[in-house]
Amino acid sequence: MTAQHPLIQVNNLDLFFGQFRALNNVSVDFKSGELVGLVGDNGAGKTTLIRVLCGIHAPTRGEVYFDGQRVVEFHPKLAIDQGIETIQQSVGLCDNLSIARNFYLGREPVKRILGIPFLDFRKMRDISARVIREFGLRENVSPDDEVERLSGGERQSVKIGRAVEFKNRVVIMDEPTNHLSVREREHVNELALQLRSQGLLVIYITHDIFQVHKLADRIVIMENGEKIADASTDSMTAEELEEVIRQGGRVVEKREKK
Amino acid sequence: MPAANLKNLVRRHAELGIILIAVLLIFAFSVSSGGVWANFYNISTIVQVTATLGLMTLGVALVIATGEIDISVGSTFGIASLVYLWLSLRIDPAFAMLAAVAIGILIGWFNGMLVTKTGTPSLIVTLGSLMIFRGLAIALTSGFAFSIPYKARNGLSYVILGGGEIFGLNTAIIWLVLALIVLTMMLKYMRWGNRLLATGGSSESALSRGVRTDRVKLSAFVLCGALAAFGGVLEAGKLGSADGSMGRLMELQAIAACVLGGCLLAGGRISLAGALVGTFVLSSIQSYLVVMGVRPQWFILLLGIIVVLAAWGDRLLRQWALSR
Repeated sequence: MTAQHPLIQVNNLDLFFGQFRALNNVSVDFKSGELVGLVGDNGAGKTTLIRVLCGIHAPTRGEVYFDGQRVVEFHPKLAIDQGIETIQQSVGLCDNLSIARNFYLGREPVKRILGIPFLDFRKMRDISARVIREFGLRENVSPDDEVERLSGGERQSVKIGRAVEFKNRVVIMDEPTNHLSVREREHVNELALQLRSQGLLVIYITHDIFQVHKLADRIVIMENGEKIADASTDSMTAEELEEVIRQGGRVVEKREKK
Repeated sequence: MPAANLKNLVRRHAELGIILIAVLLIFAFSVSSGGVWANFYNISTIVQVTATLGLMTLGVALVIATGEIDISVGSTFGIASLVYLWLSLRIDPAFAMLAAVAIGILIGWFNGMLVTKTGTPSLIVTLGSLMIFRGLAIALTSGFAFSIPYKARNGLSYVILGGGEIFGLNTAIIWLVLALIVLTMMLKYMRWGNRLLATGGSSESALSRGVRTDRVKLSAFVLCGALAAFGGVLEAGKLGSADGSMGRLMELQAIAACVLGGCLLAGGRISLAGALVGTFVLSSIQSYLVVMGVRPQWFILLLGIIVVLAAWGDRLLRQWALSR
């Protein structure tokens, strides 16, 4: 299923926030058509790494290649233009805007009247309503309603619906099942598999190794800003990977050397 | 359910509070002043003051929408009025206006660049520009006023730019209406408006969706500078004279008008029409105090009390609207 060359290649990445080293010499490859679980405890550097990939942080040192091209400027706009969609935990929605306006924020469709580009509200409402209904938003919620009125699960549904609608080449999911009910969680996981089967690269971030082991082709484990393991789910069980996290990566190093 | 509908209405239309206040004040002023306040001449004066202060207020509202603040607009207004009058004696007023507005744009750009590139709070940056450009205005005029001769006040461009009247109202009102229409269209129906409000609502979220929040903020500061300068041009055109104190303390009135009009100082929620009704209310109070013979010194005191009460009232109204 997987393509030959990596879609995203990260080489020796360092990222400092002042004196604090958030990422320490991280190198990792991601290929199209694979679902990679990025696992680690809080503060392990998972979110920081994906924030580099989606253009929010520029690395202090190291290189990032996207589809063979070296990334020289880091900005979310450029990442989105390249086809990287991110579902983040705490950011992504503006409470003061309606669902439809949030859905299309940054890529608003327009129609020209006398040559002036006005927002295409009909398209914004119709498509956002259709997509978010698929993700379990209540019937009485309108795309014109402000996001601040939605529950945690519904907010997550808007973000996921948006990423799926605009899916391009990469979907990064940062703790996508937080705040979701059991049924909604299953739905999101099915979706991640569906996106992978469509040939997209899916990076699934979580601290629950057992949950992601069932889905992923490969698990990357991070700790204290370093990558401590990178193994296919065929080669290691969830229990073994948990042991890796507990021992800080020493088990895998031995295995990889074999 | 009527209460739920009313809550929805209040939630979606932040300007309802100020419209209510405006209606009550107009009624109270008309009844209590015995015709001295509510006559065409007085109302036309209020409209003229509303027009120039209103242009400044619209610009300030745009900056507030991004979660920033611009308190330098009074000085921009002053500098622009001086530049306009000085140049009007030498070149066509239309070109003089363009030069004055260009200076407003430069001041806005200076503020915006400092805020977005250095991360310095906009309150501090614009406080600095408020003092810099006020100091410059006073230094340039050496404390004296200068004016434009009467014979130079009849040209078409001078008349159109606040120096004349149409249907008994100062021409400045046309520009205010035009600015309101264009900016409302941009804010509600164009990409720029969506991104402006998103930046104010949650800068981090807007950025994560690919919005270049720095550019959005910079554009708001630039527009704010341009509008304040244009207001200064129209005011100078109306008076035909200007001195170093032109526009002094107007920044506070503009901010007060925004708050009264339902603009959230934290950003993300503004009402341009509401801010203009706020401007009208402030001009009306000022005019009422004048026609009733109250010393103008009381105006600032009263303004402060009204702003505090209105901000508190607006908060209560919003809390009620958001309650389930």
